[in-house]
Amino acid sequence: MTKNTVFPASYDTLVMGGGIAGEEAALNLADQGYKILMVEKDLSIGGKMIHLSKVFPTLDCAACITTPKVSEVARHPNITLLTYCDTKEISKNGGKEFEVSIEKKPRYVNEETCTGCQLCEEKCPVFIKDQFQYDMVGRKAIYVPFSIANPRIATIDIENCILCGACEKVCPADCIDFTQEAEMLNITVKSVILATGFKLFDASIIERYGYGKFHNVVTAMHMEKQLVPTRPYNEVLRPKDGKMPDNIAYVLCTGSRDATVGNPYCSQICCMYSIKQAQLLLGALPMADITIYFLHIRAFGKGFEEFYQQARAMDVEFIKGKIGRITEQENGNLILRYEDIEAGIVKEAEHDLVVLSTGILPDALPENLFSNQPLELDMFHFVKQVDELASPAKTSIEGVFVAGTASGPMDIPDSILSAGAASSETAAYLRRLS
Amino acid sequence: MTVDNHANILVFSTEKISDPAIDLAGLLKKHYPASVVTISLPCSSAVKPRWILRAFDKGFNGVFIAADGTDCPYSNECSENTSAIVNKAQEMMKDKGLDPARLKMAAICSVCAEAFVKHMLAFVKSLSEEQEN
Amino acid sequence: MKNKIGIYICQCGSNISDYVDVEKVRDEVATMDGVALARTTMFACSDSAQNEIIEDIRNEHLDAIVVASCSPKLHLFTFRNVAIRGGLNPYNYVQVNIREQDSWAHSDNPAEATIKAVKLVKAGIERVKYSKALVPIDIPATNRVLVIGAGVAGMRAAIDLSSMGTKVYLIEREHFVGGRTSQWSRLFTSNETGEEVVYRLYNQVEKDPNITLYTGTELVSMKGTVGNFVATITITPRYISPGCNIDEDAELEKRLQKAIDACPVEIPDPFNFNIATQKALYRNFHSEFPVCPAIDMKSCTRCGECKKYLEYVDLDQQEETLDLHIGAIITATGFDTYEPEPSLYGYQTLDNVITLPQFKRLIELNEEKLTFHNRHIRNIAYIYCVGSRQTEGENKYCSRYCCTSAIHAAIHAKSKYEGINNYHFNRGIRTYGKQETLYSEALENGDVFLQFDEDHPPTVDLKSGKTSVTVRDILTSDHEITALVDLVVLVTAMVPRAHNQVAGILKIPVGRDHFFNEIHPKLKPVETVIDGIFICGACQAPHNITESTKSALSAASKANAMLREEKIKLEPTIAKISAELCTWCNACSEICPFDAITKKQFNGKDIARVDESICKGCGMCLPVCDQNAIELIGYTDTEIESMIDQLAV
Repeated sequence: MTKNTVFPASYDTLVMGGGIAGEEAALNLADQGYKILMVEKDLSIGGKMIHLSKVFPTLDCAACITTPKVSEVARHPNITLLTYCDTKEISKNGGKEFEVSIEKKPRYVNEETCTGCQLCEEKCPVFIKDQFQYDMVGRKAIYVPFSIANPRIATIDIENCILCGACEKVCPADCIDFTQEAEMLNITVKSVILATGFKLFDASIIERYGYGKFHNVVTAMHMEKQLVPTRPYNEVLRPKDGKMPDNIAYVLCTGSRDATVGNPYCSQICCMYSIKQAQLLLGALPMADITIYFLHIRAFGKGFEEFYQQARAMDVEFIKGKIGRITEQENGNLILRYEDIEAGIVKEAEHDLVVLSTGILPDALPENLFSNQPLELDMFHFVKQVDELASPAKTSIEGVFVAGTASGPMDIPDSILSAGAASSETAAYLRRLS
Repeated sequence: MTVDNHANILVFSTEKISDPAIDLAGLLKKHYPASVVTISLPCSSAVKPRWILRAFDKGFNGVFIAADGTDCPYSNECSENTSAIVNKAQEMMKDKGLDPARLKMAAICSVCAEAFVKHMLAFVKSLSEEQEN
Repeated sequence: MKNKIGIYICQCGSNISDYVDVEKVRDEVATMDGVALARTTMFACSDSAQNEIIEDIRNEHLDAIVVASCSPKLHLFTFRNVAIRGGLNPYNYVQVNIREQDSWAHSDNPAEATIKAVKLVKAGIERVKYSKALVPIDIPATNRVLVIGAGVAGMRAAIDLSSMGTKVYLIEREHFVGGRTSQWSRLFTSNETGEEVVYRLYNQVEKDPNITLYTGTELVSMKGTVGNFVATITITPRYISPGCNIDEDAELEKRLQKAIDACPVEIPDPFNFNIATQKALYRNFHSEFPVCPAIDMKSCTRCGECKKYLEYVDLDQQEETLDLHIGAIITATGFDTYEPEPSLYGYQTLDNVITLPQFKRLIELNEEKLTFHNRHIRNIAYIYCVGSRQTEGENKYCSRYCCTSAIHAAIHAKSKYEGINNYHFNRGIRTYGKQETLYSEALENGDVFLQFDEDHPPTVDLKSGKTSVTVRDILTSDHEITALVDLVVLVTAMVPRAHNQVAGILKIPVGRDHFFNEIHPKLKPVETVIDGIFICGACQAPHNITESTKSALSAASKANAMLREEKIKLEPTIAKISAELCTWCNACSEICPFDAITKKQFNGKDIARVDESICKGCGMCLPVCDQNAIELIGYTDTEIESMIDQLAV
């Protein structure tokens, strides 16, 4: 059951999504004096970027760039932040405004009073795998999602909670509330920025790579979590036996440029993030051999080609090859059967860890989100840019703009620029309205 | 004196031009001795000779002015002005019996990371040799 | 003097703590005089760490703080804001750089890096001890922006600036707007042609009362600083009097054509990348904007033939110079296309070797049949990465747009003319993102892709009248493959503008690739180190049209945010004269690049006086004062000398 609450406000702009693009767009507009409502479906803002280690091509630490923005969003007087909320419906009313209904999911913890002290976490008897750490470590049923989360407050994972009440007893702020229910918030906005980001390709779809079956076949995001400062083991270890890998393979274009899995486009970031991880791995495991199996290396952005050449100079091996099949050996090592394109023959190679560089997919918006006016999507189901050359943030609905990877694959600098474009076009639109 | 017995160098950098280059050297992990330390100023033509003398007095083996040169955002006479400071300071050094070669300047542009590191390696080397003699 | 100082040593995840023993640093500085507390922190910039610092300031009544973390260029303002939120004056905060200038620079020697960190933090503590509470200086700013370059990026920035309430001067060096986009014609991702996109934007620019467009105009000098620049421009006349609006008058257009035909001067036509010629009286294409021809006075002989047909010709027009008062500048000056060395792949030695931009114009100039130098073109070789990704010398970068652009041109040629065969000699196709669909289309069309590596470029030969391109093809295990072709297209790089005096006048730093450099690709992607000067589009790095537009709009948004309040806060770091010590020798006022120092009377003697709104705080006056009567606020003798003392230990 949900109850309806009249949320006491209207806003100039609804920003859907609290990743780097949403943050940048929201901050630009808020700095110009516009009132912003940011709605994030996850427990924390920060998007994908806050989970990354270092970012190409400057090797800056991702947290150093996102956390200040996250923190600025959270405290900006012109930004109202809603996390763990789903935007259910957006409809244009008779005038130029949009009516928005938002479902606020229950955390079973009072957001206002929780201080994130984590005493409840200590007492909670339930251990489950931590999805934010790619299941490499455990977490409790009541938990703060990760150390630099914002808001940094606890949430009860009610599916796994055994309702023992241990958290309730220990909480010094008395903020555990099992009676919380989903709430509906209804607000009015003048414009919308879609910064809903992307999701990663599910590597288990390509069965011949054995992801999900062979423990030592992991995705690049899993590897990324082993390279971040808050990494669970403080070492790079392979999952099957905790051995430090010394012969790592990267398989590029996993789920990209592959019409057989319905994804014919290039994901634009996988070459570069793999090259980055290779460089970081050589820092963590100086004696390791790293081989990158690629079709084409797409090092196209400012400083990217130089970054690629740097990896080559560090003796990262690049093999132009198509992977046929991956099989597992008894010791957990993997045999990659591949077509060596330069040699024109099929070869096999043994590696003790295989990293699949998975591609970007559109993160589907809720069906009929825009209830009285359809939002056009492009042929790949990204949000369609209806005037891509001259007005890249414009969508098929007047007053609705798009920022970041919601409109297609993009790296971080491009996402930030596209958010800049979205905020500029939104500001111009709002000014024309008034 | 540092553990590796390198010569101590005080660098006067500039916030908009040469300090970004020194940052870039770090970013690119281009190494130079840790006995090099930096004080950043708005412009290399703002270094008072008395500061340079103070540095020698307190035990620095060398002082390096990472000058704005022609990139100076304030004045196109910056190179001349910084040179004048160096000349004045070197005169004062001679009066005190200090080798004027212990003060050096070179223009370091905002991306001259490589050049900066080269200057530091060479300067440390020459000062260390001098120390041994 | 501050004596309740809080010290925070950031681990920066592991960026610092992997090489610097942060606990040791904390322990060493915690006992210093004036230090109230010293802590280490995982990410000083994270929200929770910021809040802890604020709590400390309040609970422990700190009077100053030091954060030892990354370069102040990244987070000085982040932590100044923390100080403000905690109730401190932001200038009682000092940031110590132990990342870029310590842990990273000395990652080869953690022991020494730790010793250096201790020294740096101690110096920071000394500096903050003597720091004074300061108030930024508010100065009035002009809410008007100069946009340089009226290509798609520049026009788009101008339009949005105007819609956001900022007035714009838009200047264009050429007599016609549209930049490169008007030369490209057919575009990827759009059914619109380049001319149509330009037309759409030009129409908006022209009818916008907040945008003043000057064509044939160049920036010649610039004075002032953020909020109050004065830009001097010179406007080259078109030598055509106003009212020559060909668009609305077919009869007039006929006379224009006669006038052009009558012009005896024939010169290479840069609009067509010199594969065609133009007259001194010219326009680039029908209905180019502004819709009014122009005369190139550098080649005009003033013979007056054209005036017989076109009464609007006015050879007496004079160059004009104007001063524009503006608050900020956006440069959108675009790129040049790489000019290959003569004889490279037969360029300029064989008459059928052209560059990609020339090829694109050639397609526009040939309607029914593709011909070049009277030769019917069927088989075309494209050689990629000419001037990009070079292993030797300059241009190590990838030019980003050329793979897509070349494939797009090949598809266009194939669909427009009969019997075209395309051979792509490439170094790995980089049709990133959705552009991949073009590559797939070319493959489906039957285009042949042959790949070489940097050490084995293809060769172009002429044998018995036939041009051949030969390569060791990686894709067929290094088989030597030769294609006989009618035309060789060199897929040339994007390079920075060769004659770009804007860089020199504005003093914008350039990167290793010689393109304009932003401060940081993620934190400040359109800002330069010079406050109030923004960059966008392909003057910054190779970009396609969409990418240029995005950065143009970002720059517009930042410039508007900076100027909308019509005031700007300036750093209070300015020179201060000691009336007691000053004897007015004039040395300071002579060296001041901004004429900020004048003579005044004080207690019956002449002394120097600094005008705070003019002083930029460069400090050039300090060393020339023989009396040591000048101090720079924030860099006083006590601050600097106490730092020197700590660093020397």
